[in-house]
Amino acid sequence: MSAIALRNVRKAYHGGPTVLHDLSMAIEAGEFIVIVGPSGCGKSTLLRLIAGLERADGGDIEIGGTRANDLPPQDRDIAMIFQNYALYPHMSVRENIAFGLELRGVPKRERNARAESVAGMLQLDPYLERKPGALSGGQRQRVAMGRAMARKSSIFLMDEPLSNLDNALRIAMRTEVKELHRQLGATMVYVTHDQTEALSLADRIAVMKDGHLLQFDTPEAIYDRPAHRFVAGFLGVPPMNFLSAKAVPGYSGPEGLTIGLRPEHLSIHAGEPAANGLGVRLLLSEMTGATVILHCESAAGRITLNCARKDMPQGSDALWVNLELSHALYFDEDGKRVELS
Amino acid sequence: MKLRQNATTALALVAGLLFLSPVLYSIWMSFQTAQSYYRGGFEFSLGNYGTAVTKFNFARYLVNSIIVSGMVTLVGLAVSTTAAFAFARFDFKGRDLLFGITVATLMIPSHITLIPNYLTLARVGLLDTYAGLILPAISNGFAAFFLRQYIRGIPRALDEAAYMDGARPLQVLWRVIVPISRPAIFSMGLYIFLGEWNNYIWPLVAVGKEDLYTLQLGLARLYSVNPGEGLIDWPLVMAASTITILPVLFGFFLVERHLVRGITMGAVK
Repeated sequence: MSAIALRNVRKAYHGGPTVLHDLSMAIEAGEFIVIVGPSGCGKSTLLRLIAGLERADGGDIEIGGTRANDLPPQDRDIAMIFQNYALYPHMSVRENIAFGLELRGVPKRERNARAESVAGMLQLDPYLERKPGALSGGQRQRVAMGRAMARKSSIFLMDEPLSNLDNALRIAMRTEVKELHRQLGATMVYVTHDQTEALSLADRIAVMKDGHLLQFDTPEAIYDRPAHRFVAGFLGVPPMNFLSAKAVPGYSGPEGLTIGLRPEHLSIHAGEPAANGLGVRLLLSEMTGATVILHCESAAGRITLNCARKDMPQGSDALWVNLELSHALYFDEDGKRVELS
Repeated sequence: MKLRQNATTALALVAGLLFLSPVLYSIWMSFQTAQSYYRGGFEFSLGNYGTAVTKFNFARYLVNSIIVSGMVTLVGLAVSTTAAFAFARFDFKGRDLLFGITVATLMIPSHITLIPNYLTLARVGLLDTYAGLILPAISNGFAAFFLRQYIRGIPRALDEAAYMDGARPLQVLWRVIVPISRPAIFSMGLYIFLGEWNNYIWPLVAVGKEDLYTLQLGLARLYSVNPGEGLIDWPLVMAASTITILPVLFGFFLVERHLVRGITMGAVK
């Protein structure tokens, strides 16, 4: 039995476009699922449907094996962490964390004990009596996590919980979220548009676009064997390069395909390589530290690749790129990946 | 710079005194006798307050005004806050039409509803009762409108967080929305209270028994107290007026700190 099962779930807003099209997925107990996609792809709507904050227009939502379409959020026993924290500004940290327990009739002494224990786990003990207005962004985010943890729910939903934090704090909190999942063993569904978060946190990633679920698989499978050109381009920094197959030297497959090659499967050279070399013109280079990101133009399309600074060819802008075609992925005109035998 | 600051302070002081002068003058006048007032001298006396309370029953009127204005404020706030919450947060059929009608009631002068309200209360036998003074005033379109606008400004994520925490809609209202809306609710409460405290027409129409008189009706009675031919006992009227305004001033100072401070800071990023 899945912890959460969605079957042909549809959602359209009043007088607006359909935001979810017959979406199905099964999430197993204890899994860490990350839903990624560009803004407006329906990922937050999907999370809100699971939470019960929105009603599906069709399909079934099952939680713990029970159909939950008509259950209000307060009866689903799901904890949720919001993008903007949504802390109660008039309550102290202690009251914020214990509020859910109070609503469930947990005695005051137990509430306090649990709030203190959760605060201890999240290093919030010195701030228990403070109001959210007196906390930093990272501390507020931790309170939001504490509020969800105190309830001991078996399902956690997180809607871009780290998007308001600065980069250093986001990386630190990402580790904390991962650690939290390990400690609690709860099912977590995490929405983000940050692919690094998705790849580093997820047991499985669901990639969405325009209300459709394009692929739902492990991070490795999504990265190595993307089912769709959009998935291939969405995950990976710099993104995958898409080249017109007919302009790629050494390609002898069917016409009309696009070749996808990740930057790590390309290398830059001053002279023509022995095989699979493509002449390029260097447009722009971005120094990122030990490596340089090169943006080039070629007859097959625009190419982005990484290069160690020490290997950077000097002199002319006319260069060669070596294509490791053994790692190439092929996409048809609809963007679906095809296997070439 | 300092000169400019001093000038501003002086200007503010003058403006404040100008606004306060009628009140200060009436309080000063309330401490003299009618005889000295009309003779042109000043003779200090607390007698006007004694007369207003003992002879003209102002203690009773004060209690009546507190009961009526207090109940109208409390029940009115409860009704309008609940309505505002529903208008701001729930999608239901006819919501916008209903809200439009609520706002449209602001355009109806209160005098137009005087006779229908009188007839309704007469039919149900509520004239000459506290309920008759209170009930017509508890639905307040302006309060519902004002509070709805305020609640719409509160991030919906707070309601949703409370629902996820296990709250029912009324718990969300009482535990989350009301505490956050405190400045707006206190402002509206003061507005309703003052409106009802100063209400003269409706008590005049709805009440015949002297026992149920409010302060405003009592004050009007004093205009017929003649210290001499064709004269009005102004010091007595001013003493009664002071009795009328003091509780309101006291109440204002009590709630003032809630009026100025918004407390949503830190709720959301």
